[in-house]
Amino acid sequence: MKKKLSSYLGALAAGAALLSMTACGGSATATPASEAAAGITVEHAQGSTANVPVNPEKVFTFDLGVLDTLDALGVEPAGVPEASYPASLSKYADAKYEKIGSLKEPDFEAVSAGAPDLIIISGRTAGAYEELSKIAPTIDLSIDAASPMESFKDQTKKLGAIFNKTAEVDAKLAGVDATIAATKAKAADAGKGLIVLTSGGEVTAYGAGSRFGLIHDVLGVPTAADVKADGSHGESVSFEYIKQVNPDLLYVINRDTAIGSEAAGANPVLDNELVRSTNAAKNNKIISLDPAAWYIVGYGLNNVEAMVNAVADSVA
Amino acid sequence: MTTTAVRTVAPVSRGRARQYAGLVAAAAVVLALAAVSMFVGVSDVSLPALLAGDPAAVDIFWISRVPRTLAVILAGMSVAVAGLIMQLMARNRFVEPSTVGTVESATLGILVVTVAIPTAPILLRMGVASVFAVIGTALFLAILRRLPTRNTLLIPLVGIMLGGVIAAVTTFFAYRFDLLQTLSNWMIGDFSGVLRGRYELLWIVAALMLVGLLAADRFTVAGMGEDFTTNLGLNYNRTMRLGLVIVSLISAVVVTTVGAVPFLGLVVPNIVSLLFGDNLRRAVPWTAVFGAGFVLVCDILGRTIRYPYEVPVGMVMAVVGAILFLVLILRKRNA
Repeated sequence: MKKKLSSYLGALAAGAALLSMTACGGSATATPASEAAAGITVEHAQGSTANVPVNPEKVFTFDLGVLDTLDALGVEPAGVPEASYPASLSKYADAKYEKIGSLKEPDFEAVSAGAPDLIIISGRTAGAYEELSKIAPTIDLSIDAASPMESFKDQTKKLGAIFNKTAEVDAKLAGVDATIAATKAKAADAGKGLIVLTSGGEVTAYGAGSRFGLIHDVLGVPTAADVKADGSHGESVSFEYIKQVNPDLLYVINRDTAIGSEAAGANPVLDNELVRSTNAAKNNKIISLDPAAWYIVGYGLNNVEAMVNAVADSVA
Repeated sequence: MTTTAVRTVAPVSRGRARQYAGLVAAAAVVLALAAVSMFVGVSDVSLPALLAGDPAAVDIFWISRVPRTLAVILAGMSVAVAGLIMQLMARNRFVEPSTVGTVESATLGILVVTVAIPTAPILLRMGVASVFAVIGTALFLAILRRLPTRNTLLIPLVGIMLGGVIAAVTTFFAYRFDLLQTLSNWMIGDFSGVLRGRYELLWIVAALMLVGLLAADRFTVAGMGEDFTTNLGLNYNRTMRLGLVIVSLISAVVVTTVGAVPFLGLVVPNIVSLLFGDNLRRAVPWTAVFGAGFVLVCDILGRTIRYPYEVPVGMVMAVVGAILFLVLILRKRNA
């Protein structure tokens, strides 16, 4: 305990040092931003932002989905949140990318000192829009849970326009569309699916229209139960419920491994007599979805491809 | 604070007979609730199906329903009794394990194990949680002994502050390790995960509770202070240690198996005291019976309100418990 504390104090001191260093750096890079050509207007979840620079030099983003898309497009943001990065984005944990807060809470001082040309936020940081707008042009690329795929494509195209990568975006999206179509064709006869999230020994179920609804809504896996649609929170269920619903495909997101670096192994929560008696267990169709991809990153250009492929494999 | 509670004026023998009759009736109600609990759930389990030996129904009954009902009863009884013991030791009606830092310390213990050894078996989790709970509770009792006055409100306030500090430390580390959501699962009691093979450790608390029940008188005496206790020929330190270990273990085991059950240790002993006065001999069995009944009702409610989904029992208890307590206090004032 004591050791932990002292290491945190050390980290705090290092953070303070870093902050003062980045503050100096910020004033040095302030000039090129003002030289940028007149920006474009971008419509987004919280209105429209008029002065978005084209090909902005210094981009800060709090959304790992956006980060994933930028990464796929070969754009390197300068500022990213402090987070436990999944393998696909692990390089952003490096200190050379400015840490501008957590996934949910911007560190306004760090953002301000960093003097970004563009800030991209999303649902988790949507509340900070006003504050961040005062620092730099800010756009909110939240995914609309009601129609996530359209929303995702829309956001990605906006990013394509901002970074002059329209052609790449279109090509990538066409690829994703093709996989979706192929998956959809197979999913229709692959049996009924149920999506559950396990956390701290308990189980919540998600249905169509939820944050993991992509599986039903977009990829066409029939639902095993009509779980009430609800954006980000599932319904607390018992194991009896899972047995009663008896899904042919059980999609599992283990939140407890989403956070650690441990590889997701067998899920002890679902390893019980009731779950073992479902069709999904009998046919070996309990599918462990990568928690980082589904729970943390979400809608990013590479990540959506990975998510779609995971479901495609399950219905193959 | 409860000296004005209802007192029966009937002669001792008649009063005692009536009390036993009442207790038997209450136990019967709890058994009836337990029976109801065993037939509430998502799967189809009916009495005729069970009697006919329908294998699916029998399976569900033994794998899911019986364990859940037993877990509810065991947790309900023991947490209520732990609350009573805590109140006797602190000689204050406003303390219980979840307001003096015991539950918070146990949670911190679970967090430490989870971060250090993510794959730790449940017994190790429980062990570490228990050690933390003992330390946290001992800290509270140590502070209590150094308090200059035994003010009725000061004691629970100190407990709540201590609990707050421990909870803050826990939250800080949970935040750092991205475990906030997992933490909230531990903090809200929920029996939805209970199955055969996943609740049996609660029998430990049943045994502890029994020890606590038998020694309840001693905790009353120990609550009076060291000199007083020694004058009566009782080993003060040993008695306090026993109470400390019982309360801490009960809290730690319940938190690791089902999560924190709020209000129970506070509301049930207070209700018993309001109804039957401060006679400890009388209060102890009533506390156990009421505790079981209270949690049974809340768990049945939690399973039916949003059927087929569940509302965690911890949430139901917070609402029902608060209302019940308010009603009792207000009614007493009017009487």
